[in-house]
Amino acid sequence: MTNFDAAVSAEDLTKRYGSGDAQVIALDAVTVAFGRGELTAIMGPSGSGKSTLMHCLAGLDTPTAGRVWLDGSRHGSADRVELSGLRDDALTALRRDRMGFVFQAFNLLPTLTAWENITLPLDLAGRRPDQAFADTVIDAVGLRDRLHHRPAQLSGGQQQRVACARALISRPDVVFADEPTGALDSRAGAEVLGFLRRSVDELAQTVVMVTHDAVAASYADRVLFLADGKIVDELREPSADRVLDRIRALESAARGARTAVGAGA
Amino acid sequence: MLRAMLRDLRAHLGRVAMTVAAIVLGVGFVVATWVVSDSAAATVSSGSYRTDLAAVVQARPKNPADAAMPAEVVGRLAALPGVTRAEGVREGYAALVGKDGKIGTTSWAETGGTDWDGSQRFALTAGRGPARAGEVALEKQAAEEAGLSVGDSARVLLGGDRSDTATVVGVFAYRATGWEFDPAVAYDEATATRLLRSPDAAPAAAPGFARVELSGGDEQAVVAAAKAALGADFRVDSGSELRAKQAEAAQSNGDVIRKALLAFAAVALMAGVFVIANTFTMLVTQRTRQFALLRAVGARRAQVRRAVLAEAVVLGVVGSTLGVALGVGLGLLAMRLLPVVGEVAYVVSPWAVLLGYGVGVVVTIVAAYGSARRAARVSPMAALRTDAAVPRRSLVLRSVLGLLAVAAGAAMVAVTSPEDLTEPKRVLAMAGAVLAWVGVLLTAPILVSTVLAPLTRLLRSPRPVTRIALRNAVRDPRRTAATSSALMIGLSLVCAFATVGQTLSDETTAQVRSAVPENAVVLRAAAYGTLDDTVRTAALAVPGLTGLAAPRSGQVEVVSARGTAEDAEFTGLDPAALGTALRPAMLAGDADLRRGVLLAERVATRLGAKVGDQVRLRFPVVGADGDVTPVEVPATVAGVHEGSDLMRGQLIDDALVPAGVLRHGDSMYAVGGDQAALRAGLERAFASRPDVLVQDREQLLDDLLAPYQLVLGLVYVLLGAAVVIAVFGVVNTLALSVLERTRELGVFRALGASRALVRRTVRRESVVISLYGGVLGIGVGVLLGGVMQYVIMANPVFGMSVPWLTAVVALAGMGLVGVLAALWPARRAARADILAAIATE
Repeated sequence: MTNFDAAVSAEDLTKRYGSGDAQVIALDAVTVAFGRGELTAIMGPSGSGKSTLMHCLAGLDTPTAGRVWLDGSRHGSADRVELSGLRDDALTALRRDRMGFVFQAFNLLPTLTAWENITLPLDLAGRRPDQAFADTVIDAVGLRDRLHHRPAQLSGGQQQRVACARALISRPDVVFADEPTGALDSRAGAEVLGFLRRSVDELAQTVVMVTHDAVAASYADRVLFLADGKIVDELREPSADRVLDRIRALESAARGARTAVGAGA
Repeated sequence: MLRAMLRDLRAHLGRVAMTVAAIVLGVGFVVATWVVSDSAAATVSSGSYRTDLAAVVQARPKNPADAAMPAEVVGRLAALPGVTRAEGVREGYAALVGKDGKIGTTSWAETGGTDWDGSQRFALTAGRGPARAGEVALEKQAAEEAGLSVGDSARVLLGGDRSDTATVVGVFAYRATGWEFDPAVAYDEATATRLLRSPDAAPAAAPGFARVELSGGDEQAVVAAAKAALGADFRVDSGSELRAKQAEAAQSNGDVIRKALLAFAAVALMAGVFVIANTFTMLVTQRTRQFALLRAVGARRAQVRRAVLAEAVVLGVVGSTLGVALGVGLGLLAMRLLPVVGEVAYVVSPWAVLLGYGVGVVVTIVAAYGSARRAARVSPMAALRTDAAVPRRSLVLRSVLGLLAVAAGAAMVAVTSPEDLTEPKRVLAMAGAVLAWVGVLLTAPILVSTVLAPLTRLLRSPRPVTRIALRNAVRDPRRTAATSSALMIGLSLVCAFATVGQTLSDETTAQVRSAVPENAVVLRAAAYGTLDDTVRTAALAVPGLTGLAAPRSGQVEVVSARGTAEDAEFTGLDPAALGTALRPAMLAGDADLRRGVLLAERVATRLGAKVGDQVRLRFPVVGADGDVTPVEVPATVAGVHEGSDLMRGQLIDDALVPAGVLRHGDSMYAVGGDQAALRAGLERAFASRPDVLVQDREQLLDDLLAPYQLVLGLVYVLLGAAVVIAVFGVVNTLALSVLERTRELGVFRALGASRALVRRTVRRESVVISLYGGVLGIGVGVLLGGVMQYVIMANPVFGMSVPWLTAVVALAGMGLVGVLAALWPARRAARADILAAIATE
């Protein structure tokens, strides 16, 4: 199925909500692989299923059908785990040790300092941070002088950079970023995207990012386009313009299809 | 507007359920208190009224020992016009012997026997009245204590060393006419005449009647006739006077019970106010956006305020209704469980119901008022923000007031001193303690941030559970403080009483242990009686006994050389036994009665008497005719001792006490070579004396301490209600903060916190809050107890004994409360839906 080294892969991933007439198909037998050491962006209009895809890949949501694998390179070739069928505690441990998350709403714990937020995944696992690596990450996000501040004392961009550092600190197999720039102004957004890009280039981190912003998608190595629960297109080495062109093309195609369906009925 | 609020209430039933629970418990306790005291008063009065009495006649002799009336008086009264019945009532020494061979404690043995008559004095609950020799009827409680019922054979101890065995034919409840104690046994008249004697009266003397009960149609005529016939040496009370006195006594008994119970109910309510206020604050905080929306669409501040208050009224009424029902149920249940003789009256007065509603609604409104005002101050702009917060009052004013109250309270206690503790100063010290206690309640929020916050920094544990739990606990100091304050209220009072109890019992223990040698065998009169010379003689005949202290106490006036007189007590003993069988705690001089008298510390201080001074002991001597003449005995002060319950007042050689001085002793202390042999010997010697108990020192101590334990147990149970209410507060706080933190918990889960870890975090937060309340409550309670025992006993404030056991149990209990209170909120938190929590709207 995969012809390149994949960190995360999914096969026939399907997610349906409800039943009968009210049934909504959020994911329709999606088969996809995310390359190791790559920044992959998932794009699509609202309701296309991009968030559902990410949640299923991250084990936050349970797919109706299909399988998801997490492939750890740092943990040796035998470390290929299938997510489906894992119990809650095993999934939790997997998220804690082998995945990182960046959310649109930052979602830092308000009672913890920046440093404590960053090291929380390690704390939860009962591990001590590798100081050298932690220094690398903190310097990369430029938060050295803010480590003992509470989230409420930080700006939005700073909070999101703390969240990025938190996602990277455990050297996860993959970082999932859900609209990481959605709540930021363009300058702070660019900082965060630049940081994610560098984590791929310099730390060989695998990043999967859901976004609807063409500029954000242009930071990726590869863009997947999702519509009606299916991957409808893919773009390598994207630029903002090419992404926008592709979106327009997809939208007009979708309109055409809808018109055709309407006419057929 | 109002409809919108009520809909909202209905939509969040879970949130309001706990508030209602707090109201229900508080109101229930108040109403139950009222029902119990009303019913108790009604039971005492209704069940015991006798309607067959026109008058009661008693002799009023100069010498109380001559109070018995001869049969001739009864005959004269019976012959009076208008008197339909004249019943002479006999009383005499009688006590029921229990299974342990010793007499029971439910009645006063001196007047424990009476004669059966057909009057309303006796209400049979089983069997019939005694009719002939060999039959006896027993009073219900006495029968229960002795484990006897109809058909059994009862052994009755009579005056001196006589006793009687008779078949139980009936069990009765006794209706007193006003002043007599309930008897334990009733014989038919002939048997009573034969058996019952006052132990004071000469055995040969013809037995008399304690009083004569008269019946007749015209009460006033009967009273007038009796007074005219008998003259001033007799006292005649009309039946209606007696009934009025009984009703009055019942009423005042009911009031005493009511006041005591209401004090506890007030404590429970106070805890309730904290819980309700805290819950309302949280309910308002969570609906900030809703209020802002209402304001944005045009609601005036007053409307928002009124809406929140209306919500409080609705909750108050609902809670009060349930609370009144609970209270009535609890009150009636308590009346069923109480050991009440005869018919129990169940009274639910409208006052109880009204009070329940009044208290419930007012308390809820008072508790909600602050929240209502804050809700009204929410800016309409808050509707547009996601992180809107209700405006908060600053803690500065509250904390400053609290610190001032603590300082003023401490100062009020400090200006008084144990050496000169007059009544106003006692009041001042106690008021200071209460003021400081209120001050601590006020400063609780800043205490949270100043005590718990540094703790979070100290605990650099690699596990995040404790750290996050502590941080969450200090996140809203006001909320944590309110929650733990509710716990603190009940707990501090429990600990205060425990401290007083511990101090009292430690003091008694120390006194007894220092006064009585460890190897002593103690002879004690059973059932609050006294030990007479026969006991002393019998004890001295026991082989192996080397010393016997038989202290007997009475009244004496101590007159100094300068002529100052001081009313006091004396205790006469055998000089040889002092220092061996009984050891006084000497402050000066020697414990040698051969050299003179040992003054009690208080008397020595008042008179300024020193060792070697001369004093005169002025004893009241009762003559054969009942006249009291003072007889003075000169004595040298040989020493000064502390004085204790075992050796009251001035210690003097028993031989020096003039004959005719009233004195009583209820304990004797024997020492001898082998304690076990001595005890066995004494037990043999008194095996046939049901009125004498043979004990060792620790058993004596247990007996002396038992009343404290009983009172303390009761206090704990009553204050427990406040703690139960406070537990609801902890559950409330946790449940609502978990609800507030849904998103945070979701993120926590997404980042890799397992469900068990989330549960543990919430549980630990709960334990932190509970333990904080516990530590605060125990600390404040012990200090409060220190002041209380200072006020009661004039010991130094810090001279109190810390009730370690109670403190440890209370703290462990608070830990348990924390765990239990977190059960449901923790489950809820662990079930938090990750996707819903992190979903971006």
